[in-house]
Amino acid sequence: MNFPEQTPLELSIYQANKAYNGIPALIDAQITLRGGEVHGLIGENGAGKSTLIKLLAGVLSPDSMRVTFNEQPVELKTPQDAYQLGLRFIHQELNIVPSLSVAENIFLSHPYPRIGGVFVNWRKLNQMAQDVLHQLGVYHINVRQNAAQLSSGDAMLMKIASAFIGDDFANLRQTGGLLYIMDEPTASLTNVEADILFDVIDTLRQQGCAVLYVTHRLNELFKIAQQITVMRDGEVVGSHQMTDVTADDLIREMTGREMENVYPPRAVEAKGAIRLEVQNFSTAHVHDINFTLREGEIVGIAGLNGSGRSELLQGLMGADARESGTIYLEGQRLPRLSPTLAWEYGIAYVPEERRSQGLILTQSIAHNITLPHLAETTHGMGLLNHSREHLISQETSHDVQLRAVNTHQRVKQLSGGNQQKVVFARTMVKQARVLLLDEPTRGIDVGAKFDIYSLMRQFSAQGVSILMVSSELDELINMCDRILIMRQHSFVDEVVPTGLNEETLLSLCYGNAGE
Amino acid sequence: MTTQQSSSNKFKHRQLSVGGLMRRYGTLIGFLLVVAIFWWQKPQTFMTIPNWVNITRQVSILGVVAFAMTVVMVTGDFDLSVGSMASLAGIIAGLLFQQEQSLLVAVIAALMVGLVGGLINGILVSYIGISAFVATLGMLTVFRGLALYMSGGASIYGRAIPETFSNFGRGGFELGTLNEQRVFLPNLTILAAIIFIVVLILLGQTVLGRRLYAIGGNMEAARLGGVRVNPLRLLTFVFSGVGASIAGLMLFSRLSTAHPTQGEGLMLKAIAAVFLGMTMTEEGEPHVLGTLLGVLILGVLANGLTQLRIDTYIQEISTGVIIVLAVALSSLSHKQINILKPIQQFFRNSGSQAEARQLND
Repeated sequence: MNFPEQTPLELSIYQANKAYNGIPALIDAQITLRGGEVHGLIGENGAGKSTLIKLLAGVLSPDSMRVTFNEQPVELKTPQDAYQLGLRFIHQELNIVPSLSVAENIFLSHPYPRIGGVFVNWRKLNQMAQDVLHQLGVYHINVRQNAAQLSSGDAMLMKIASAFIGDDFANLRQTGGLLYIMDEPTASLTNVEADILFDVIDTLRQQGCAVLYVTHRLNELFKIAQQITVMRDGEVVGSHQMTDVTADDLIREMTGREMENVYPPRAVEAKGAIRLEVQNFSTAHVHDINFTLREGEIVGIAGLNGSGRSELLQGLMGADARESGTIYLEGQRLPRLSPTLAWEYGIAYVPEERRSQGLILTQSIAHNITLPHLAETTHGMGLLNHSREHLISQETSHDVQLRAVNTHQRVKQLSGGNQQKVVFARTMVKQARVLLLDEPTRGIDVGAKFDIYSLMRQFSAQGVSILMVSSELDELINMCDRILIMRQHSFVDEVVPTGLNEETLLSLCYGNAGE
Repeated sequence: MTTQQSSSNKFKHRQLSVGGLMRRYGTLIGFLLVVAIFWWQKPQTFMTIPNWVNITRQVSILGVVAFAMTVVMVTGDFDLSVGSMASLAGIIAGLLFQQEQSLLVAVIAALMVGLVGGLINGILVSYIGISAFVATLGMLTVFRGLALYMSGGASIYGRAIPETFSNFGRGGFELGTLNEQRVFLPNLTILAAIIFIVVLILLGQTVLGRRLYAIGGNMEAARLGGVRVNPLRLLTFVFSGVGASIAGLMLFSRLSTAHPTQGEGLMLKAIAAVFLGMTMTEEGEPHVLGTLLGVLILGVLANGLTQLRIDTYIQEISTGVIIVLAVALSSLSHKQINILKPIQQFFRNSGSQAEARQLND
């Protein structure tokens, strides 16, 4: 197919309106995507970003919307319409089929290459999958292995690759280019993996494609985006050239309030007694862990994906069986823990994946908050005390500044940030002694992040000791008193964050500092 | 919390469409329709107190199995072995009667069948990790074989059975007289009602019930949230086992006969009753009130269709059609009635596969 050299593609949406149950989610929104441009889209959770993307994808029908493609009015009513206009989507959620190979996952929503129209041409399938990964600059993933064996970062790269199947990737310029919509693609990527993606995005842009890039990480946008649209409460509140704005401007526009600092300042210096002491602790996934945690201290754990960070928290929580070692809590030697016992000892836990590990999405806020504390929510004899449950969930959801209709609302109806606040509210029912946080701010917006950081400061001031795993190095540096470095399932180093920068911390994670 | 106030007002204005009502309460409306049709067709006999008392007795045994099954299904499992456990419990009691053991010994032994059977099911599912579908299907065959072997394939009836035992199934508590006929509330109905109330309190008002629903909602989140998942799943199978045993005794008592396969129809009907009930809850989770209605629907259909002299085979067909219709109607409302959970566990990962397809579509 020979296309003449075209004017750069342009897709515009005007006057997009959408309401759920009478509550407007999108009010007269408009956005224009142009070929050769990376367009950032930011806004707090619930600002309408997801709704806008769903309208673009044709999976949600708008109350009203006008769409033009290269200045011609077009329909965008079904996913097929979107596909034909050249829209390609990379979603934030990792929906992979663990039992299938990487190649099969990449081809999940595309027809497999066949021999004689009947038999799957496995050789060609694997070859095509591998080619697409190579085009993305990903060489370390074997397409024949099961997706279950991938780290979450590699799984995300695999999902990204699947968006490029079926298009003539090498000849995009001739075909006029495509539009890629990426919804927080870097949420589970390490910095190195994210850099691979940024290179891909840059290549796409140079080939005349348009990219709509949704993220909560502002610094990424300053790296890759040329244009930015800011949303708040369902409306587009700003549209700028990236060179004209600063991060502070964007945060102000997004939240509608002044925010001098993303991180709340520390109130007191933590120098309490030793709260938790872990000696020679090993599980099937971590080896010979030693550390202490003081009262009111916030200690971070940095490391690459797969270094055993999350597994350490699971081990401390008793979700992974202890193989050896001892844990002392306030001098008391703890027995072999189970999650049930851990909660009873005042060890509270915010797991990595709030949707699959933290919450029961179909149940109410109240039920989710009291789940670990049901033993204290009774009249005795195992009978539930509903009024006490109501009171507890009211108080704690107020404390975490949860935005919800009431505590009977189902958790699945809440935005990501509010869902995370429900998981936090759970840790406040009973005064926790140790709080284990795994990626506490993953996938939530700046405003909710600030709330969560403030909560952590508040916990710390009350004397709660916090152990936090995070892939956001910036967060570790700004929130923690000390940072433990984890590599290959053990602690290898400890640093004080004062004066530390992200590059140094990252190279410590890789273990090539000073080499 | 000012934002909460404003948005809650907005929510109050949410309108329920006719279609929405139909999907939510379709099963209930359908039930009332069926009742109305029978009433219209059989005005003299259907809508009478004696007939309804009769219906409650007819469904009491199924009710006990279905109420106990609800507890298992709350955690997302199900128990296919209840029918053959009920038969086996009856056979054990009958054999002990033949050996002139006391009523108490026979009843306790029969209950032990369910207890031990449930323990085995529970251990297989929660500690060994076999899917409920496979484990209880296997045990179904084992219990069935045991009942046939121990009885020699023959029914147990006659003099050996104590009169107090068979009188229980036929007798009742006198309510009064109506048109010079004495009306009894059947003992079996009373027993089923007691078990209904026990399950109602267990699931709705206790910590245990809440934890079971948590397991059914998200097993991993429940575990990390401090719920002891394995012992509780085991417990639900013990519960359904004991329920099956009680039902087996009730059946034996009512028929004064223990046949090694007489409980077999109970399992499918009990599961169907729970499904019918699930169509009426908001999130499609099992609820014992819904199960009660499901049991009544099945009972009323059988009663009414028999009165209309409709062939029993045709009755089976129409009952099946109604169950499928009810569940289909409610899944149109995008309720996630995951009736296939245990089967999905059997075919590992097929759940996430379906989900992935859905998201990619």
